[in-house]
Amino acid sequence: MSAQKDCEFLVKRARELVSDDPCAAKAWLITARTLYPADFNIQYEMYIIERNAERTASAGRLLYDMFINFPDQPIVWREISVITAALRSDSQDKHAQFLRGLFETLPGRVQCEMLLKATEQCFNTLEKAEMLLLLLKRFPESVVQHGVNLGETLLEAEASENVETPVNCFRKLFVCDVLPLVVNNMDMRLPASLMQKYMLKAAEFYIGYVTRGPSPDVQIQGSQEGGSLKSPSVSRGSQRYVIDGLSEKSSVVAEPWERLLDILAVVGARCEWQGDKGQRSYMDMLQRVKELCHYLPGLEGDTRSRCCSQVVICAALVLFRSAFLYVSSVQPALFQGVNALSSGPWILVEDLSSVYNDVEVERGAMKHAHKKRKLADGREKTMSSDDEEGLGKGRGRHILVNKTEMPSWSETLDSFRTARESWDLLHSHDGLETEFKKICASWKTDSWLWFRIFLTDMIIYQGQYRKALSSLHQMAAVQQPQPGQQSPSGQASLEHHRALIQQASCHYALGEYRMACEKLLDVVGGLVPPNQVQTKTPEDQGRVKTKTRKGNDLRLLPCTSKAVLPFCLQLMLACFKLRAFTDSRDDLSLGHVVVLLQHDWPQGEMLFLKAVDKIIQQGSFQYENFFNYVTNIDMLEEFAYLRTPEGGRIQLELLPNQGMLIKNPSPALGVELNTLLLQGVQTMDRHHTVTRGITKGVKEDFRLAMERQVSRCGENLFSVLHRFCINEKIIIIQSLP
Amino acid sequence: MGDIRQSLLPRDVLSAAKELLYHLDIYICNLVQSGRQPPQVDSKTLELVEEFILHAPKDRNTPARRMSALQELQLLEIMCSCFQEQSRDTVRQLMFSALFSLQGNQADESRMALLSKLVSMAIAVGRVPILECAATWLQRTHRVYCVRLAQVLVDDYCSMVPGSGPTLQNIHSASPRFCCQFITAVTTLYDLTSEELTPPSELLQMIVSWIQDDPRLVLITFLNTPLSGSQPISSLEVTPLGGLVRWCVKAPLAYRRDKKLPLTNGTSESETEAGPLFSALHLSVLQVFMLLPNILNEKGLFGRLALLQMESLATLTSDLSRLLDQADKHTHTSSADTQALSQLTLDRLAQALQVAMANGALLCAREDLRAICSRLPHNNLLQLVLSGPVMYYNNIHTPPLAFSPHAAHSPIASHPPHPAHPAHAPHTPLAAHPSSHPQYPAQPFMTGMPFPFRPSH
Repeated sequence: MSAQKDCEFLVKRARELVSDDPCAAKAWLITARTLYPADFNIQYEMYIIERNAERTASAGRLLYDMFINFPDQPIVWREISVITAALRSDSQDKHAQFLRGLFETLPGRVQCEMLLKATEQCFNTLEKAEMLLLLLKRFPESVVQHGVNLGETLLEAEASENVETPVNCFRKLFVCDVLPLVVNNMDMRLPASLMQKYMLKAAEFYIGYVTRGPSPDVQIQGSQEGGSLKSPSVSRGSQRYVIDGLSEKSSVVAEPWERLLDILAVVGARCEWQGDKGQRSYMDMLQRVKELCHYLPGLEGDTRSRCCSQVVICAALVLFRSAFLYVSSVQPALFQGVNALSSGPWILVEDLSSVYNDVEVERGAMKHAHKKRKLADGREKTMSSDDEEGLGKGRGRHILVNKTEMPSWSETLDSFRTARESWDLLHSHDGLETEFKKICASWKTDSWLWFRIFLTDMIIYQGQYRKALSSLHQMAAVQQPQPGQQSPSGQASLEHHRALIQQASCHYALGEYRMACEKLLDVVGGLVPPNQVQTKTPEDQGRVKTKTRKGNDLRLLPCTSKAVLPFCLQLMLACFKLRAFTDSRDDLSLGHVVVLLQHDWPQGEMLFLKAVDKIIQQGSFQYENFFNYVTNIDMLEEFAYLRTPEGGRIQLELLPNQGMLIKNPSPALGVELNTLLLQGVQTMDRHHTVTRGITKGVKEDFRLAMERQVSRCGENLFSVLHRFCINEKIIIIQSLP
Repeated sequence: MGDIRQSLLPRDVLSAAKELLYHLDIYICNLVQSGRQPPQVDSKTLELVEEFILHAPKDRNTPARRMSALQELQLLEIMCSCFQEQSRDTVRQLMFSALFSLQGNQADESRMALLSKLVSMAIAVGRVPILECAATWLQRTHRVYCVRLAQVLVDDYCSMVPGSGPTLQNIHSASPRFCCQFITAVTTLYDLTSEELTPPSELLQMIVSWIQDDPRLVLITFLNTPLSGSQPISSLEVTPLGGLVRWCVKAPLAYRRDKKLPLTNGTSESETEAGPLFSALHLSVLQVFMLLPNILNEKGLFGRLALLQMESLATLTSDLSRLLDQADKHTHTSSADTQALSQLTLDRLAQALQVAMANGALLCAREDLRAICSRLPHNNLLQLVLSGPVMYYNNIHTPPLAFSPHAAHSPIASHPPHPAHPAHAPHTPLAAHPSSHPQYPAQPFMTGMPFPFRPSH
């Protein structure tokens, strides 16, 4: 005989009835509740009936009653945690939607209290934060009380959990959810230092997010999506990306650069930064801080440090964004969400398209080129009026690029320029530089490969080749021990080539021809010679325009066999050209030059005629590789003519001379190479091997060789020259200083 | 006004009636404008109405004038538009009562006839002002006449013209006041004592859906009436709650009785549906009770005004004991079905009593209930209700907040009323209860003893 027994009886009756006659069941429970209003089970049963029938309003009413009357019942809390879980999830199933609707029926203050209490009962930092975030989003007034605490909790959790990257669940929640609520809440007064700290946390996150590497399971073949960074396609298909601890949906950050700019605008306004308060573009921002920099020296105290912070933060963000945009088009495979297929890596190298120019014109310029470059940016230039004129703004160097192969060339070069300008700005005052270095140190930008790529290109652009070389060496060291990064398409080897080619280019610019050729020939060994038949129009166009240039420009070279082999040939030509046309006699160099001039014929016609002149002057010419590598009909004719009486009876010793090999055995020549050479000899008639001018059959041999050679005219020139690079590698390198 | 009689006499019936309505309108407007309190229509005018509109014979010498059916229809149309066009409530009300207030004379029969036709027409064509006036009429008029009006409407809309139900259905949105009074009248009319006095299923469905949509509907008259105690003695109750409780409680027995009848008129299908309908209606009634504490408190009437009358409950319980008795006698085998329906009746009674009492709709002590329920057969819930909740709380899991759930936990003051209310404290009258109903035989209920009828769990 007890109240509990009565209650059990009443609830039991209701349960019996609920399936057949829910109205009767409810009538029983209503009666029961008026008899025993303090009994939890009666009310819970009422709630369950409504909840199971998914009647939002009445279930909400009953939940509210239970929450008020039985705040300590574990069952109530279990129910509340189910509801709050539904609120946090993005599940669209009917029951989750019902639970969310149920929550919406509760009065605001109850929602608030419920979330707070649910938060208290939650021990997982992330869940707790998500719960509190629900509260803050619904009740802006609670931001004042909980906003900063929540933010700090997340930052602490990030620190204590030893996460590897700023792109982690805690930071994501902090930056994307908490921070906007905090900085946009005008009821809060936050110290500028805290605002700036948060600003930098946000920037680090967004930059880290944008520049995240492709995840290992990305299928490169599958993604044909556009490379535009802002496009929603970033998160589609094979480009899936999940931040550890978050759902796929909440791992997506839309328009990160824009969000960063939003935060910056608010923080700027609240820190009383100079300039208009409205949202601006990154370009406007750079312009603004550039102007501000003029006033910097005149400022003192707080004003100065505030101004300093503004300049550094704004310029740094512009720098990282532009550098990213540049690197993402130069080396897209580094990033997730940037289409790696649209274009392979590009290499910033010296432009060698002027290599066919007359030596005399060039000699002076080439000799001191790198020294002169260091002197000043704005020195006189001889420039054609092509459309790249505007990009250089009259200072700095030109960067040539094949516009059909890189459709976004203009944006890419713009980004490169903007990044350099920001960098320069950040290093224009000691105060700014110190601040900037602090940011770099805390973000560990040293370990950002993509940023180093930009920095290296920038140093090359500035003509600091020595520094660039050491940076490239370091980079190679960083890159090598990461076999995981290797993608199936041989991307890694191309990446490696990229560094080598750039090194070669730097050595060349420094006048270190031997090193330059050594690096480059290493690369060429691994290339597949492209087909000879190729439309030369793009290259021709480029060359016609740049004819008057003086070897001072840079070029963005696609990292493909098709582009690298010609570059290699040009570079070797550039290296040998100066030696070949010195007053002293160097037949070997001259011979190499002749071989190399075949490429892109008749571009080098003028130089070839100059070489012929030199041979006539010398009266004789010895180059045993001639018949191995010269297949150009014009050249062959010219040489045949040289031997005739009309040509001047020049003594030509062009047939391979085995004796010479034996006479000058090079320890550097391995068995392999010797064998190669011997094979070359075998293809000629070994029995008719000649020694200089002694054998009577020489004339006949030469004629026969010429005839053979004419028949080889149709051979793929690239194959011939590629063979030249591989077979003669040692000799080529040895013959350079 | 009396002087226009001469001008009306030569006219034909319709134009005379029209003319009179026209003059009545002007007369009442002037009356209202004169500001005399209370505005009263003089007896001469009322006589004119009886003579020229109701066509009651003035004296034996004058033959009663009669209208053709067509003329009557035209007159109703004119009246409809007359009320529709009158923008002032006061004028409209005075006009309506001048025409239709019962005078206790011969003319009342034709008055009722005309009124019924007018209201029926107003429902058909949706004339809200007329329905509003009729609602007031239903509040002021003796219940016998109210029931007669209701009967006509039910006949018109639920019996005579099949499929015209939806027209009647609309009145709850057109005039909730009229709808509420209509429900009260209908529940007074149909007391489930015989087949004729069982509501047609169409009507039942309509009422259930009205109340389910908006339980407050049944309280509209109560909410809108300043309770000055000037309610005419024999008028309808202020809410249909008593009638609805009677319906729900008696329904299982009444429909059981009907079931035994041979299925002659093919209504069996709708009758089998009555069970769930009454179940839903019963729940709605309980839910309406739960709305009461708030409303009563707002009006300062909690514990002072009983919406359920002890007398009518006593009648109900004695009816029940008789019916249950009969049922037992008729079915000696006392089939499980019969038993279950009897228990359902008693369950509903117990629930209605408990919830009404807890929410201040029924003002009495449990003792009083024991008195009126003494002759009823055993029912677990009824016994529990009659004995009241066990007050020593040995349930350690539930905090002892039985008496004031709000005092202990009221961080949110705007919390809507908890249906539980101190009112259910056992054996303590809610308020000074006027009488202890000496007219009911005292039941030998021994309070000192452990209650023997507690439900056997």
